[in-house]
Amino acid sequence: MADRIEGVKKLFTSKSARVETNRGDAHYEKLFQLCQARIEELKTQTPSRNRLDIDDLLKDQGINRRDFMKWASAVTGMLMLPASFTPLVADAALLMNRAPVIWIELSDCAGNTEAMLRSDGPKIDEILLDIISLEFNETIMAASGHQAEAQLEDAMHTFKDKYLLFVEGAIPMGMNGQFGTIGAHGETFYDHLMRISKHAAAIVAVGSCATFGGVPAASPNPTGAVGVMDVVKGKPLINIPACPANPANMVGVIIHYILTGQVPELDSLLRPKFAFGYRIHDNCERRAHFDAGEFVEEWGDEGAKNNFCLYKVGCKGPMTFNNCSIVRYNEGVNWPVGVGRGCIGCSEPDFWDKYAYERPMADANIKAPTGGVEKTVDEFGLGLLTAAGIGIGIHAAASILAGKKEDGGEA
Amino acid sequence: MITKQLIDQIEGEASIFFDIKDNVVDFATIAFPHFRGIESILKGKNALDALVITPRVCGICGHAHLMATVRAIEDAYKNAGYPIELSKKITIIREFTLVMEIIQNHFKWIYLTIIPEVAKLNNSTKVQTPLKGAYAASIASKAIAVFAGQWPHSSYMIPGGITADPTNIDLLKAESYVDELISFFEKESIGVSLDAFLSFESCKDFNTLKSDFSYLESSLMNIKMNEKGFAYDRFLVIGTHTFSKPSKLKQTRPFSIDAKYVTTVDTYSPDQASYAKNAQYKNAFYETGPLARAMAGNLKIVKNMHRRFKDSAYTRVMARVFEVATLLEHAKELLSGIDISQKSFLKSVDISKITARGVGVVEAPRGPLLHTVDIKDGLIQEYKIVTPTQFNIGSSTKTNPTPAQKAMMKTTQDEAVFIFRTFDVCSVCTTH
Repeated sequence: MADRIEGVKKLFTSKSARVETNRGDAHYEKLFQLCQARIEELKTQTPSRNRLDIDDLLKDQGINRRDFMKWASAVTGMLMLPASFTPLVADAALLMNRAPVIWIELSDCAGNTEAMLRSDGPKIDEILLDIISLEFNETIMAASGHQAEAQLEDAMHTFKDKYLLFVEGAIPMGMNGQFGTIGAHGETFYDHLMRISKHAAAIVAVGSCATFGGVPAASPNPTGAVGVMDVVKGKPLINIPACPANPANMVGVIIHYILTGQVPELDSLLRPKFAFGYRIHDNCERRAHFDAGEFVEEWGDEGAKNNFCLYKVGCKGPMTFNNCSIVRYNEGVNWPVGVGRGCIGCSEPDFWDKYAYERPMADANIKAPTGGVEKTVDEFGLGLLTAAGIGIGIHAAASILAGKKEDGGEA
Repeated sequence: MITKQLIDQIEGEASIFFDIKDNVVDFATIAFPHFRGIESILKGKNALDALVITPRVCGICGHAHLMATVRAIEDAYKNAGYPIELSKKITIIREFTLVMEIIQNHFKWIYLTIIPEVAKLNNSTKVQTPLKGAYAASIASKAIAVFAGQWPHSSYMIPGGITADPTNIDLLKAESYVDELISFFEKESIGVSLDAFLSFESCKDFNTLKSDFSYLESSLMNIKMNEKGFAYDRFLVIGTHTFSKPSKLKQTRPFSIDAKYVTTVDTYSPDQASYAKNAQYKNAFYETGPLARAMAGNLKIVKNMHRRFKDSAYTRVMARVFEVATLLEHAKELLSGIDISQKSFLKSVDISKITARGVGVVEAPRGPLLHTVDIKDGLIQEYKIVTPTQFNIGSSTKTNPTPAQKAMMKTTQDEAVFIFRTFDVCSVCTTH
């Protein structure tokens, strides 16, 4: 399995992560019709049980149509769809209670649940918590204990083969899985995941633990922690890494699923391209200082006071793919680079061992992509590809999981 | 007969094994069945890597872990002969973000856990509003993000200072979030102005209010939580902060304290393997957290509650409610004391020059959090983490129960589960 995991990590190239944002009118018209047909069909279905009417709820919360449409157009942009899709995205949000979501926590710190709980202020929290059908989340659901287990069983049965399974946390494989058990019968995390994923429509691995093993998998990986894609086979899988994952990206995946019934376009690490097609460095607010050769040389210096580039104090923005520099965190209030702390590459595989702190790359035994920051990651990735024959098999498998992602954009 | 009860809606999961006799809890043991091995992960790594790894011990109090790591490394610098004198600005900003983390924790605990559970025990059909807790917590975490970049899992504190160099605009932003939070708190949570609330001296003052917290107060009384859930009436505060002072209290008598007397022992958990440890001070169990801090800080209303109801579940819950209020006021004071012209960072020697032991103690939302690091030439030899939940919710024998075990005795199983939650369980921290 270790070879396979390494192979997958080496497959990534920045070119593979790029999204074609102009596919021509014919493509978008076809997609629009497909989405419209799906939305109409969803409207005829009854909401999953006990869910509130979203229109009423928005009104109760004093959210007017204009605010809601503003939010919808932002999401449309994030999903890299033309503005004409905004009404469809709004409809999809209103139909969120047709999409059952089961959320399980494995070997983790609950940080992604925490991040989601305080995602985008009251409005989007409403959408996330009341509107979307979070059928089962151990931290935030109403029921607890045995009642909660019964509720999980019930949700799995009622929405068999239809639910989106969100997984937070790594799977500890050491000691026959005894580093993490759950429920009344002490089921191991591995067995728990296998049982619940069996009848999921798709799996969304949220956070770096669930995607790549995360901090629990840091050397010497005491519990043998691995990510979901290392153990679950034959299911559509979407990875949303980062520590914590950005709630905006979780919402994006759900909306996309409702809108199209499909998983979004993915890169070779199974990350949605709408979120991970960006390199932090390329959209960084401090990028101009990099280009001008103005760097923070050490904490607290004049450069730090003037928001200069953090590359020399160890920022990993040049080798990290995520939309943090655009979406930012905590409802756009800020992000680490905004407070003068370099990116630690928390959405990249192995960040916990390779990138951990402000070790400047020159000192850290990490090879920057093809030697320089400015060359693209493409060559770096391709160079390794030839050595990783094993990777090609995986790539094929990944493509099947992701659907025909290059063809027409949607699986 | 032993019955097992799962506890979720916490960070992670816990199991309680109840031995019920005559319909009340005769004894209960507690197991935490998850383990990640963070201490062994830290071994051999660069000491500065801990700044990224320890906050990820916990999704809800990661900031406290970051601060404990920073304090431990700064202590090692001092012990190696390179003391770092922090500027007042650094200290205040660190305190501010820690305070906001405690506030978001309490809001979530009150609205997502305690009020719904109280309603269940009261057989109340009151419509639950957990989103209020999520909303308040989201404002608090925005205030943190102004200085820390993001919440959870920020690493903006570094040995010698902070990476942020805030401007007056940042201070204004942070102030406006605190003001927004205070007006939410006044309108939704307490139903009276913050000043008026802070001047309360008796729980009778609640009778005039109509608010979420007055509902909580009367519901706790209604199910007689003022007569249940007693632990040892011994309290421990170890972290030094602008909002708390270290103290060991037996009832109301304070004693001096030294972190070196904190030890951990294996738990007694005969029914399920547990990865937790029990934390003790001079080989005895103490309660930690908001009630302990209120007692050590001589907070008048909590002391009055304590005089009438001792360390009951009622007093424990209400101490948390009041800590939200006192910390909101304190957060404003902190912000007004920031002088942005002071230094954000004080340079010292490179970490590779450091060979020493350092201890960092912080008051986390649930009580003292201790990090001990042994550094050799900048690399971590040993790292030890002791968390507040290990003090409060250990699992020991019937003759020497932990605070939570003692508090659950002689109550019904449903009451016991509620009392267990009054300690605010954090499973992921406990085993780390």
